[in-house]
Amino acid sequence: MSELGEVPKPMPVEFAAEAPVTGKVRLDAAWGSTEGDEDLTAASTTVGKSDGQIFKQQYKQWNGELNPRWMRNWAILRHHLLGIFKKGHRPWGIPIRLYLLVVFVASLSDVGMTLVSGLIGDSGLHSVWGVSRDNLYAHVLGFFPRNMLYYPVVAALLVGGVISEDRQHGTSALYFSRPITRFDYVAMKFISVAMIQGILILVTLALYYFAEIATMGRGWAWIIDTFPLFLATVFSALLLIFTYTSIGLSLSSVSNGKFFPGIALLSIILGTKVLAFISSNLFDREILYLLSPYDCLAHVGQAIIGTQPTYDQYSWTWSLASLVAMNGIALYVLSTRVSSMEVTRE
Amino acid sequence: MQDDLIIKTTDLTKSYGPHVALSKLNLSVPKGATGLLGPNGAGKSTFLKTILGLVQTTEGEGTVLGLDIRTQGDEIRSRIGYMPEYDSLNPDMEAIHQVRYSGELLGMNPTIALARAHETLQYVGLGEQRYRNIGSYSTGMKQATKLACALIHDPELIIADEPSNGLDISARNYMIETLTNTVKTGNRSVLMASHLMDDVERVCDNFILLHKGKLAAQGRIEDLKAFDREIEIHVWGGASRLEDAMTAKGMSVRREGRVMRILHEQEDTTTHILQCAADVGAQIRRMHEYEASLEDLFLSIMENLGYEVKSSEDLLASPVQARKVDAPEHMGGGSS
Repeated sequence: MSELGEVPKPMPVEFAAEAPVTGKVRLDAAWGSTEGDEDLTAASTTVGKSDGQIFKQQYKQWNGELNPRWMRNWAILRHHLLGIFKKGHRPWGIPIRLYLLVVFVASLSDVGMTLVSGLIGDSGLHSVWGVSRDNLYAHVLGFFPRNMLYYPVVAALLVGGVISEDRQHGTSALYFSRPITRFDYVAMKFISVAMIQGILILVTLALYYFAEIATMGRGWAWIIDTFPLFLATVFSALLLIFTYTSIGLSLSSVSNGKFFPGIALLSIILGTKVLAFISSNLFDREILYLLSPYDCLAHVGQAIIGTQPTYDQYSWTWSLASLVAMNGIALYVLSTRVSSMEVTRE
Repeated sequence: MQDDLIIKTTDLTKSYGPHVALSKLNLSVPKGATGLLGPNGAGKSTFLKTILGLVQTTEGEGTVLGLDIRTQGDEIRSRIGYMPEYDSLNPDMEAIHQVRYSGELLGMNPTIALARAHETLQYVGLGEQRYRNIGSYSTGMKQATKLACALIHDPELIIADEPSNGLDISARNYMIETLTNTVKTGNRSVLMASHLMDDVERVCDNFILLHKGKLAAQGRIEDLKAFDREIEIHVWGGASRLEDAMTAKGMSVRREGRVMRILHEQEDTTTHILQCAADVGAQIRRMHEYEASLEDLFLSIMENLGYEVKSSEDLLASPVQARKVDAPEHMGGGSS
């Protein structure tokens, strides 16, 4: 209840025949009857209006400590890796995630067949699908379907926007206006993309190897005998992942969107392969293989793992030199382009 | 006082080959809000990159929050919050996670960064919108998100590059209020680069004016405005006669139709104006003190200042002379 103060003394109201019947007069008549209530105070139950504040802007200070460099780098890595599995991190897109799942399952085909052959005890099936020099090579470097449909496509999808989108959206400023060095930025992006490929290639390779041990009851002698082969395959896989990632990221760094880096990577890997194949068939010259990342990787892989070489016109060291040159050029382009990424405007 | 300076540079020079982007800048930026002004190509972006420790200086030295810009870039960037002018947000991410990630990039623990992201988004007015994708945000909301990214670790200095760029009036007001609040109640410092003089005037106490990579003026906005006070009169009848009479009495008159501005040089300037009006029989319908806006001053300085470093102290010492000292000869400058 709030006091509104004293009511002004009412004016005397005259009721006469000629007095107009107005609202005012009627109100005066009702309120001020001049019968001794002049000193009354009016009371109102109306709540007085006050200016409420729905949102009060209040700056809150934070006195925590910032963690060192490794934690910042871990944040970049985590952002990219966890984005594959959950929301709130780098948005990879449903089609990419689905494709990664498909490739992961497809890459486990030899694991499944090894398990089946072990379970049903079919030695014929096992001789086709079990761990061997050729099958280890094929798991990583077989052209069809793995290096035609799986790994290059995965690399193309992954590198598509990893750096180019930072340029496109200007998110590079978010990194470089913070204590993130260009080297850390590139290194973490590189490792992120390589790790996702690693899950598809290396993890499935390890599962394949251990499936053989588990289902066929392999002992230490077999493991000691074949482990160098496994390591050689791992090394070939690392070379493949490194090469696809470095070429892909360099393309991503010169671009402003997702499409160009992806399609350019596929063109480089598959286009040069086709070109070398045509040249080889038409002119019986294999020199163009040196331009094809896949062929160079396959050649070096065959040499390391020790399978039957299919590129026998030149020494595998030429292929290795070609790979070193390709990666060197790609990393040079990548570092130059990332150095030129702006903070104040992009 | 030295302790009160957040940025200090001595002969800071940055060249890109033959092009000198910053030339011997001697700046002292005190705590509080400071506006960084200058036309396109004045060297604002280069200056920001230099104090962020992102580009190596060609000559000279400087400190930000007491840290050397040549060797302690990482530490500087840990202690300041930078709000870029252009888009710097991933449109496919929710604002809460974008702000959290920006905190993680500074080295904040993910859990703490998330908690702090909630607080800062609340502070910039996006509390209810924080789970929306940034792609669906308006320009004002994006600007607010960028500010939240800059504020997440409670930096001592916030560098806001054109914070109200492209905003409508209400969003612009809100951004200005937020920055002001950050300075006043948060006790933080802001370095605000903007071409909107009005915004700089509302937020900042101090200003730095760059022109062609050189320091054109620096100081307190209040002081700069004080030296150029004028009296504005609206005249009815005999405006030309009045103008002639006042000019004859040695007053400095600027006229646009019936509106005249007379330089308020002495205490009795108003008396002289009224006397002149009485003498020539002109009516003064309105008379008030005219305070030039920062924009007026900026344009005036850019028009008249020449190519040498000039501090506001020089300008204040002898306003009219100082403006002409280093101006090209055709503009009245030269060897004074």
